[in-house]
Amino acid sequence: MTAPILEVRELSKQFRSGGVLHPSKLHAVDEVSFALTPGRITALAGESGSGKSTVARLILRLLESTDGEIVFDGRDVTRKRRRRDVLRYRSQVQMIFQDPFGSLNPAKTVRHHLARPLRIHGIAGRRDVRSRVEALLEVVGLVPPKKFADAYPHELSGGQRQRVAIARALAVNPKVVIADEPISMLDVSIRAGILNLMRDLKELGIAFLYVTHDLASARYVADDILVMYAGQIVEQGPVDDVLASPLHPYTRLLIASIPDGDRNLEPIEIRKGTAAAAVDPAPGCRFVDRCPLAIDVCRHETPQLVEAEPGRIARCHVTAPRQREDLHAHPAA
Amino acid sequence: MTLALDVLPHVPEARATPVVALENLVVDYVSRTRTTRAVDGVSLSIGAGEIVGLAGESGCGKSTLGNAIMQVLRPPAQISSGRVLFDGKDVVGRSRGDLRRYRWRNVSMVFQSAMNALNPVMRVGDQFVDMMRAHERVSKKEALVRAGELLELVGIDRRRLRSYPHQLSGGMRQRVVIGMALALRPELVIMDEPTTALDVVVQREILQQVRELQAELGFAVLFITHDLSLLLEIANRIAIMYAGEIVEEAPAASLRVDPRHPYTVGLLGSFPPLHGPIERLTGIPGSPPDLSAPPSGCRFHPRCPHCTGEDVALHARQVGERPLLRVVSGDHRVACHRETA
Amino acid sequence: MSQLQPTIELAPALPARRTRVRVPGWLTLLLRSPKSRVGVVILGFMIIVALIAPLISVSDPTAFSLVDARQAPSWHHLFGTTDQGSDIFSQVVVGARRSLILGAASGAIATAIAATLGILAAYAGGIVDDAINFLTNVFLVIPTIPLLVVASSYLTSRTMKSMVLFLALTLWAFEARILRGQALSLRNRDFVLAAKVAGESTWRIVFGELVPNMISRIAAGFVLVFYISLLVDAGLTFLGLGDTTHVSWGMTIYWAQTNSAVLQGEWWPFLFPGLALVLTVLGLTLILAGIDEVSNPRLRDEVRVRRHFLRSLVLPTRRAA
Repeated sequence: MTAPILEVRELSKQFRSGGVLHPSKLHAVDEVSFALTPGRITALAGESGSGKSTVARLILRLLESTDGEIVFDGRDVTRKRRRRDVLRYRSQVQMIFQDPFGSLNPAKTVRHHLARPLRIHGIAGRRDVRSRVEALLEVVGLVPPKKFADAYPHELSGGQRQRVAIARALAVNPKVVIADEPISMLDVSIRAGILNLMRDLKELGIAFLYVTHDLASARYVADDILVMYAGQIVEQGPVDDVLASPLHPYTRLLIASIPDGDRNLEPIEIRKGTAAAAVDPAPGCRFVDRCPLAIDVCRHETPQLVEAEPGRIARCHVTAPRQREDLHAHPAA
Repeated sequence: MTLALDVLPHVPEARATPVVALENLVVDYVSRTRTTRAVDGVSLSIGAGEIVGLAGESGCGKSTLGNAIMQVLRPPAQISSGRVLFDGKDVVGRSRGDLRRYRWRNVSMVFQSAMNALNPVMRVGDQFVDMMRAHERVSKKEALVRAGELLELVGIDRRRLRSYPHQLSGGMRQRVVIGMALALRPELVIMDEPTTALDVVVQREILQQVRELQAELGFAVLFITHDLSLLLEIANRIAIMYAGEIVEEAPAASLRVDPRHPYTVGLLGSFPPLHGPIERLTGIPGSPPDLSAPPSGCRFHPRCPHCTGEDVALHARQVGERPLLRVVSGDHRVACHRETA
Repeated sequence: MSQLQPTIELAPALPARRTRVRVPGWLTLLLRSPKSRVGVVILGFMIIVALIAPLISVSDPTAFSLVDARQAPSWHHLFGTTDQGSDIFSQVVVGARRSLILGAASGAIATAIAATLGILAAYAGGIVDDAINFLTNVFLVIPTIPLLVVASSYLTSRTMKSMVLFLALTLWAFEARILRGQALSLRNRDFVLAAKVAGESTWRIVFGELVPNMISRIAAGFVLVFYISLLVDAGLTFLGLGDTTHVSWGMTIYWAQTNSAVLQGEWWPFLFPGLALVLTVLGLTLILAGIDEVSNPRLRDEVRVRRHFLRSLVLPTRRAA
């Protein structure tokens, strides 16, 4: 397998909240670590407030991290401030935003959106820009390219706009593309096209991070999956394995909640709680109030990520306990 | 959960007439430059205690339909023809007084985002009181007592009456809105994308809640959404809407195993499976048509994989003639030229 | 490239771009609303008058002629004459030039300052925002007219240039605050973040992404400063604190006032310059309303609703859904 191109190590982001008299810290992202590999799509799944979008923005350096490192191509880029370094990073790591109606400037043509990155990073001179723009439009399936290049965003449909957004991300030949819920605002029948496009672009050797709350589309498009809850990664592994036999109780809850035409709304037990980030979290598992498997230690000790089986990592005292000896001693568990 | 007696519905046991029936409803958006026909000749009936799902993508007219039933369409939208029958009587063009009694008491509505329906600067309890006193002669105290009962009905601690909407989670807010919709014991509750803005676990909770409530109180539901997989789980009957028309209508079970209309087939093929083998999704090429100038004949024909021109006679009908909803088996209706071959 | 989804026809209603007459987009938008149509006509009329002023002014507006002094409007002197015998029609027509140029110049300068500082403050945030806010607040607190009164009593030259500068310096702060607010709401829109991710520099984002989306508000600000300048200039001149030597509308009224025209029952030196002023300001205000309607589609619908409501009062319709 190829070496990872981007590594995130113990990345944390805290926001100050509460005010002057009762200052508190919102732990939006807590010691998140993972790696992105060229030619593979990694899904980052979680509900709203779980921190997944914050992770995306941290990687893109739209936010400053409180702690941890981002290592790109072997170099630590976490604190780089010089325009030259930041620019170089930006030419390698790109993003596709969630809202196809908001991520394009309403006052500019499609051509402008695609040409700007080409000019900023010096990828194409003035004469080549036209042909490069049209080539990009063909890659994302917007043909005839000339017609689309001169269009304004409001003249395009949601799916077409999202393709423009993808073309813009591809313009700089990035090594990493972060897609932040790229299909959630599109009509259902259009989503397939975008998902297929992403799958095909994998062949170009790009490393994708697919941020989503929709596990089914994660399964369709991704190779690996990371599940986030309250700012922490709670499970990690190959997508098919994780979804077929989830280790973490939260992953199980997520899977059970998805409407699946084959079942008939069997009531499942859902306890009150939210996936949102914790404020000044106490030690202990953050899922403990909703967990059907909770035991005593879950309330006092924060579980760590443990490789329960080769390639399968989870953060749970019960299903992925730290001492492997427990597993062997009680094989019936 | 014990229910106070007056929370039970006053719906008579069995009834032949549907609660709400639409007959060839046509709704237009009229502007200076053009007229857009958002709903084009829709007929649909919702029986007592039934959960009817209405599925379609953006711009198909499903929300307009919901608003038409509630009689809350505002200019430039107008009902151009057709009838909206509640309990057999047409509600279109009725007096304002009649409509005020009709809305919320007979038919109520739950909107997509609770924050659209809730006043952010009023306590939840006060909003209930406001709403109830607008429709019935009750004292503030009585209204608050009823509000408390309604909150418990939807699974929220009644002490939350004193909370402001922003102090509640998204799921709780949506449940408050559902509680409000049930306050006057309507016979039909229209839910327009009630769970789209919510996380999947919360969505599940809300759906379970709705199912329980519906079983206990017996109201009918028109569940409008773009998520067909939701409807396959919760609805008794499903109608698929495309470009202002209903193209297929069937019991949920039939629709799942035997979808007939190519659009329905395309929709079902747009959901990546959570289990089982992964095949390349097809989706549906193209985009929904501009309703101010819809395609001739069958509105789906530009995107339909079966409109190829091979069968010349069929092709002529596909581009020239609008297909009508016809029964294909039992309760299953489809509007497709291929079905009438 | 591996096989990709075939695309789709362009979404319908791609407006055909053919125009025989090259009408700039903003003009067509303005002409759409009946209010601003009137405004554009009025302003256009004033501009034309100002442009052809030397051609239509019968006589030198500053010419003295005791013979013709204090004459009521007649065919010979359309607007009458001043107490010095100068033709008021010429004065009004030539004065239009000064007023329009003054208004436009101070509008342009004030808007340029306001846009640059306001949008920069919103986008850059942090210390830059704080510094610009402080500056804005200082200028906001200063009351316009008293400042102008005080300043003009100190200044020896009361040329148009200094007036333009004063007006611009006192009026930019109000607009800057508004534009900052609007820019703040745009700053976190995805397309701005996308530009940042693409590597755009701050200045290019401010002028390339934010400004094009704020054009209507900036234009509205320009029109606002325009007509405020007109009024303030006329007012100051009337009080004798402005430039009473060059021909302007305020100057005509000033001299009439000073020379007790009212006592003589001479209404014409007041009426005509006053009308010109009122008309111009009216035109600008209507254009402002038109800009508002164009940029806020909801206002457009309200007009329709009002008409519909009025119509329904007269003819009760069954189909009022």
